[in-house]
Amino acid sequence: MEIEINGSPVAVRADPAMPLLWVLRDIVGLTGTKFGCGTGACGACTVIVDGLAMRSCVVPVSSMAGRSVSTIELLASSRGDARTRRVLEALREAWIDEQVAQCGYCQPGMLMAALGLLLEDPAPDDEAISRRMTVLCRCGTYQRVHAAILAAARRLARAA
Amino acid sequence: MKRRHFLLGAIGAGGALVVGWGLLPPRGRLGTAELLPPSAGRIALNAWVRIGEDGSASLVMPRVEMGQGVHTAIPMLLAEELRLPLERIRLEQPPPHAIYGNVAMWLKYLPFPPGDGAAGEESGRRRAARWLMLKVGREVGLDITAASSSISDSWPVVRMAGAVARQLIVEQAARQWHVPAAQCVLASGMVSHPKGYSAGMGAFVARAAYNVPEAEVRPTPREDWQVIGRPLPRMDLPAKTNGTARFGIDVRPPGLRFAAVRMAPVLGDDLESLDEAETLARPGVEAVVRLPAERGSTGGFAVVASDSWSARRAADAARPRWRGGGARSASSEAVLARLRAAVDTDEGFAVQSRGDLEAAFSQAAAVVEARYEVPFLAHAAMEPPNATAWLRDGWLTVWAPTQAPGPALRAAIETSGLPSRKVDLERTFVGGGFGRGLEVDIVRHAVRAAMAVPGRPVQVLWSREQDLAHDYYRPAFAARFAAALDRDGRVSGWRLRTAGDSVVLNWLSRNWLDVDAPVPDTSSSEGLFDQAYEVPARRVEHVRVRSDIPVGNWRSVGHSHNAFFIECFIDELAERAGVDPLRYRLDLLRSAPRHRAVLELAAERAGWQDPAPPGRARGIAMHECYGTIVAMVAEVEADGSPVPRVHRVCCAVDCGAVVNPGIVAQQMEGGVIFGLSAALHGRIDVEAGEVAQRGYGEAGLLRFAEAPLVETHIVQSTRPPAGVGEPGVPPIAPAVANALFALTGRRARRLPLSIA
Repeated sequence: MEIEINGSPVAVRADPAMPLLWVLRDIVGLTGTKFGCGTGACGACTVIVDGLAMRSCVVPVSSMAGRSVSTIELLASSRGDARTRRVLEALREAWIDEQVAQCGYCQPGMLMAALGLLLEDPAPDDEAISRRMTVLCRCGTYQRVHAAILAAARRLARAA
Repeated sequence: MKRRHFLLGAIGAGGALVVGWGLLPPRGRLGTAELLPPSAGRIALNAWVRIGEDGSASLVMPRVEMGQGVHTAIPMLLAEELRLPLERIRLEQPPPHAIYGNVAMWLKYLPFPPGDGAAGEESGRRRAARWLMLKVGREVGLDITAASSSISDSWPVVRMAGAVARQLIVEQAARQWHVPAAQCVLASGMVSHPKGYSAGMGAFVARAAYNVPEAEVRPTPREDWQVIGRPLPRMDLPAKTNGTARFGIDVRPPGLRFAAVRMAPVLGDDLESLDEAETLARPGVEAVVRLPAERGSTGGFAVVASDSWSARRAADAARPRWRGGGARSASSEAVLARLRAAVDTDEGFAVQSRGDLEAAFSQAAAVVEARYEVPFLAHAAMEPPNATAWLRDGWLTVWAPTQAPGPALRAAIETSGLPSRKVDLERTFVGGGFGRGLEVDIVRHAVRAAMAVPGRPVQVLWSREQDLAHDYYRPAFAARFAAALDRDGRVSGWRLRTAGDSVVLNWLSRNWLDVDAPVPDTSSSEGLFDQAYEVPARRVEHVRVRSDIPVGNWRSVGHSHNAFFIECFIDELAERAGVDPLRYRLDLLRSAPRHRAVLELAAERAGWQDPAPPGRARGIAMHECYGTIVAMVAEVEADGSPVPRVHRVCCAVDCGAVVNPGIVAQQMEGGVIFGLSAALHGRIDVEAGEVAQRGYGEAGLLRFAEAPLVETHIVQSTRPPAGVGEPGVPPIAPAVANALFALTGRRARRLPLSIA
């Protein structure tokens, strides 16, 4: 099947039941998206599919045929949806300004979840962020993630 | 030259010198350039620092980065001495050599320090402690990142290594320019002299490498610091925000195979039989590997396949028969019952004994007693245990996100049977250490898998379920405390008695050192005998209660439970004395101005003297952990749910000289979240040898929406730095428990907390 990944069409041969996470990591070779639980509980595997955040460890690759997937590696791609990349870049800048990451393992998933949130709601308030951000972080970066999302949203609003 | 050779020779002489090492001045640990393998373009000036002819620098980095920020903070020490922007410093993996061992961890965090026991007891214990120190240094090795010790350990060595490098370069420039070295200035990688001479430091390093400094070398004094103390952005963050940071799970040697592991459900059990042919027939499967129960691990098998999914599917579909041994009858409930009984006996060791306790109690105006207990806890780091191994033509390479490269290398050597010079350990970022990274069972799994498919690299990755079910848990603990109060409500004496299994003795026995002598593991009592509270008569006792439930180091170790016990107890004493908990503690700290300053700062910034917002209450706790003093005020609300809602935590910290205040704040925030997860949710129940908690949802991790806002206030200090990786964990549980009391009038005596 063919999946668009970060703006490029990728031909994928895999067991249709194989979760997208393993297709990305083991077959396509994009290791930015992480494995944390395999059951959709932690969010480390979050990617964007047609503009919506999804937990790739519970998404069978067969359901991805013909769809457009964005991973953290979108940052290194010159293709893919321009708006999505712009929002992700603003998030990344804010992430570095706020010095969010510690161990960093959950951060690609955290960034993708934040991306999904801002794509849907460009001006989330505190309550919306707390409600929508459910990726787990064992290092406790939550308050900085929160601040970074608000900062990115403000930056994007000013640039718009 | 003579002195340098003496030190190099001395370092090679074996374990005895490990003791002497800790006493050597910092220059004694600089080693020589010969320890480092040659590197194109970069010349080593000692065993730590290389300078490139292009003016770049590299620093040998034995400590691993697991989020605690040492891959930024330690290079900052070199940046200071070399007057070089941090971005121009590269990190290098150390060659395996004892000189890179973590001496501060070993010296400061002695699990067997001679306490204040009775004289006869003490000399026997001193001997045992000395023997053990030597053995650990010699056999287990000290290439370990733990105990919040990395900055302490690096502080004298890296600063001196950098200062010596600077001096050598400046002196060489002076020699070539025929000017006094004292007039030359090194800044931003350039050496210059007022006469107008200027050149990059790279121009001098080749000749400088043959010299020893002529003048006395001193690291940059505090008043001249340009780098140390600044909140410089972390060097690892760009890679951690664009998906390029390489964790253990991201290692991708060419032709990599993937392996899934399944271990017996009962802790410590082993594999009896497995239809390997059936599993081999599954799609993508290339090998099935037995993983014996060894050195405290549980036995099972690994399935090696062309991709993770195929490996996982095949492992899940397999029908193994388990031996039916192991810890079949282990039960956390039974352990807790034994702990509660043990604190009522007189068994065990007195870790500390001072003053006349009997007199204090017989003359007491009031006696306060309390019992506390806490459950087993899992680590549940975001990156599940994994390691990658490649056996090629009798050479073995292992990649592991480990906190213990020394023990990991040794496990790889032992499991493969290869000579040590043919085994290599490569470090990666660690996706959460917390003490779990000190276990090397996963390395044995990877090496065994590699031996089954020689010539091909294999990555072994545990599932989350396996991780929760086969952890080395923070042990359950019980406490029974009694304090004598005089007429003024002051503590005249206390007896603090705890029971629990020994983390250190368990870890040592998993790592080649079975300790038969009844040496006390004083880490079981850390946080009880080492606080600054002034109590004239005191007895701190511990009885080790062993069980088959494997126990290991969990972020802040003994402090993780003892701070809860002692800080809740002090609150109870304050209540009995009719005194505000802050004032009560300040009085107990009357001879400890440093500790008082931390407590007062937290209280002031939290607005302790002002009424809490409606519906909320505050609780306070203070704890010294591994040399760092932290005080916290937690603001808590009962919002109708069974678990208290923590809104705000105000932290004050004295960690000695601060290298990077941004990182200190991150670690306080992280410690609070980690400790709060345990305070509100964490528990591991074992029934019939099996862990009851399954998926990540049951691991007890605090969620985004539950996170309080943490503020960090740093007390300035001129003392050498202590660490911050763990000290943010111990105070939060008692601060919240004490706030809960203010809110509900009920004392919490066990974790996790609930508003029942």
